[in-house]
Amino acid sequence: MLKTRIIPCLDVIKNKVVKGVNFKNIKVMGNAVEMARYYSLSGADELCMLDINASYQNRKTFIKTVEAIAKVINIPLTVGGGVSGLDDITDLLNAGADKVSINSAAVKSPKLIRQASLKHGSQCIVVAIDGKRHENKMKVVVKGGREITKKELIVWAKQVQSLGAGEILMTSMDTDGVQNGFDSSMLKKVTSNVSIPVIASGGVGNLEHFYLGHLTKSTGLLAASVFHSGKYKIKSVKKYLKNKGVPVRL
Amino acid sequence: MKKKVIGLIDGQSGNIGSINKAIKEIIKGRPYQLKIIRGEFDSSLFNKIILPGQGAYATLISNLKKLKIYKPLKTYLENNCSYLGICVGMQILSDMGHEEKPTRGLGIIAGEIKKFKSKKLIIPHMGWNSIRLTKEDSIITDNLNNKDFYFVHSYIFQNIKKSNVLANTHYVKKFPSIVKKGNIYGVQFHPEKSHKYGLNLIKNYILKS
Repeated sequence: MLKTRIIPCLDVIKNKVVKGVNFKNIKVMGNAVEMARYYSLSGADELCMLDINASYQNRKTFIKTVEAIAKVINIPLTVGGGVSGLDDITDLLNAGADKVSINSAAVKSPKLIRQASLKHGSQCIVVAIDGKRHENKMKVVVKGGREITKKELIVWAKQVQSLGAGEILMTSMDTDGVQNGFDSSMLKKVTSNVSIPVIASGGVGNLEHFYLGHLTKSTGLLAASVFHSGKYKIKSVKKYLKNKGVPVRL
Repeated sequence: MKKKVIGLIDGQSGNIGSINKAIKEIIKGRPYQLKIIRGEFDSSLFNKIILPGQGAYATLISNLKKLKIYKPLKTYLENNCSYLGICVGMQILSDMGHEEKPTRGLGIIAGEIKKFKSKKLIIPHMGWNSIRLTKEDSIITDNLNNKDFYFVHSYIFQNIKKSNVLANTHYVKKFPSIVKKGNIYGVQFHPEKSHKYGLNLIKNYILKS
């Protein structure tokens, strides 16, 4: 039986894992390579890392960090943040990423999804979608939620699937960073309209939130703070889910 | 003592970094050497060949032909030499693939590669799933039975003879996750991404088979 994936997410600047809401009060949580190694050993099903400040200067160090992480883990690695074109995707895959996540570049130029999936295969192209409610509609947002696009969330989710995305990383900007739980209604809406895997992201604060995330039919559950702060170990989340009858890898 | 030679084929179908790293760790201090195969090769020089693959069946076949790897590989396999195919590297052992366009495979293990069929299924089958052995084997040892491995694929081996199936996996219905014929193995999952049990499997293949 297919297991629900628990995916720690590392927000990275150069080689440090950081925490900060919209670039304010950025706090260093640790060394990215060390944290990645720790999560791989402690039962993470996959690892996600995002370059949250992809400036030209920082990018080189970030790519080196991806290479270093790929060398120390033996679980799948998804890398995103600052991916603007096909060359960026090739660079990250060559650095050892198994999947590359595209966000605003895909919104700006949807054909990038098709080009990337034709070149590298759908299995390694993840489209990250940030959603937010606006005037009673679910919209796609970019720039960390600060810019609301014209795209309707569900229309976009279906479109990225038909363009060849292998997976959707779905973050609700209405719940992200608040630790009050995943955005169940938004996630259900997405999972019921696409047939590719959906990773739920944004809002985990306690164990029950993971279970509620599973109920949205998302096959991956992504979390950052609850793991980085040491509030929960991956094993304890999985044991909790197993007791609830959710298939997990232990 | 003469070192055994392991060939790792780079079919330009996904990154070979992880599998390369795994093999190097396993053979460290042991009488093996690793050679990367990127073009035409003499099949008689290799004791084992590993071919990892991602992406489409048709693409991998066409890459292997372009790189002049296809012919010596086919000869190697027809002589029943030791082989481990991973994901698409396993699928191309079949007679025919139907991804992108119908494409003739290496024809080593009878059967065809077809898409998962079900409207209810989330495709690709992506994530960790367990394998159930159908018989005992030296490389897929008992301690790997019922363990989870990392899968990512939309196509499966169909119309395969039961005798060539070493393990099955369940995703709405069961499908072959490990195939074997003589000294030739194929795994649908990615052992190089499957943490300790994945490494176990690669280690068994290299040291025990």
